[in-house]
Amino acid sequence: MRIALAILVIAAACFANLKFSPHHTGSSVFETLYMHLMPAPLVTDNHVPHEEQELLLPVALPGFLSFMDIGWHGGADAAGHTPEGHAPQTALFNLQIFQVAAVLLVLLCFSGVPKYLRTGKGDQLTRLFAGFAMWVRDDMVYPVMGSKDGTRFLPFFLSVFFFILFMNLMGLVPGSATPTASIFVTLALATITLISMVAGGMISQGPIKFWLNLVPHVPLPLWPLLFVVEVLGLFVKPFALTIRLFANMSGGHMVVLSFMGLIFFFPTLWGTTGGWAASPLGAGFAIFIMIIEVFVAMVQAFIFTQLSVIFIHQSIHPEH
Amino acid sequence: MPFQAETVEASMSLAKAGAGIGAGIVAIGAGLGISRIGAAANESIARQPEATGDIRGSSIILAAFIEGVSLFAVVVTLLIAIG
Repeated sequence: MRIALAILVIAAACFANLKFSPHHTGSSVFETLYMHLMPAPLVTDNHVPHEEQELLLPVALPGFLSFMDIGWHGGADAAGHTPEGHAPQTALFNLQIFQVAAVLLVLLCFSGVPKYLRTGKGDQLTRLFAGFAMWVRDDMVYPVMGSKDGTRFLPFFLSVFFFILFMNLMGLVPGSATPTASIFVTLALATITLISMVAGGMISQGPIKFWLNLVPHVPLPLWPLLFVVEVLGLFVKPFALTIRLFANMSGGHMVVLSFMGLIFFFPTLWGTTGGWAASPLGAGFAIFIMIIEVFVAMVQAFIFTQLSVIFIHQSIHPEH
Repeated sequence: MPFQAETVEASMSLAKAGAGIGAGIVAIGAGLGISRIGAAANESIARQPEATGDIRGSSIILAAFIEGVSLFAVVVTLLIAIG
């Protein structure tokens, strides 16, 4: 019953994405296909020409946030201005539908788990996700952080693991968009890890001692250089997290889209017959890459969470 | 003196060719690194089959590290090739 509800959530998100995203047109087939990887603001009617499209949920921005203006060149905006004089505005993007859907899926799948862990009664979906969550706790968090610190940070790690996992897996459904294939979403997730690292370190070691403990014991002349290196290292680690997740997700999609674009490219080279002959190859490779992508989606969620565990543990208990 | 259109286009094509070569070199680097992990992992599993689970988990993590580094380079080449 809840499985049917989960499938309904995914299908509703894909349907809303297809209905409200603007259509893409590029100069070549490949460009049109690659534009599906870019986040697109939602419009009310995507069949009218681009100049007349209106944003679905525009939000006017106050002056100090006007750098976040999306530069909409379409139709009238929230304040009714013409295309030449848009006030700064932001809008609902197609990625946010899938982020909300991922949160709904997490709530749906985990809603019976506390009762199951207390009383042992639950249906199969509950047992599956209870086992999954216990695996995250016992094989990812506790071996690195121990049970005391691990229990304090466990809600964050569980949420981030299942959020990224559901977003990555939903991106493989046709008609969807992957929020983690946008660098802004992964940057936000890694920023939360960075804030946890710095705040956790400053709370557990003292605000000044945290920054001093970054540097191992070296002679005094070497200390400023090593301090700069260690601070850079502190910031580079979450940056690597964001690039790794972003590039894995969007790179996988780009490869699949390239193989699909080859199906449209071969008729221009070899005529219609050549196109028909080459298309099973293109579709076959695309299916193969999709299978690898399911594995990559799960591995990347695991890697992000495992590295977050390791980095936060290093901040709370430095080795030196 | 403004550059002629042909010169600008030729230098853009050279930049894109460089991006293509860079992406190829990235693939070589990732292949070398991950193959070393694969070789060491298989040898260790052959020596001690009961540690298969640990070795498998740790080799997946290490492969993801190497792939992260190679994807840095891929992002750089994409930035060159597209704008």
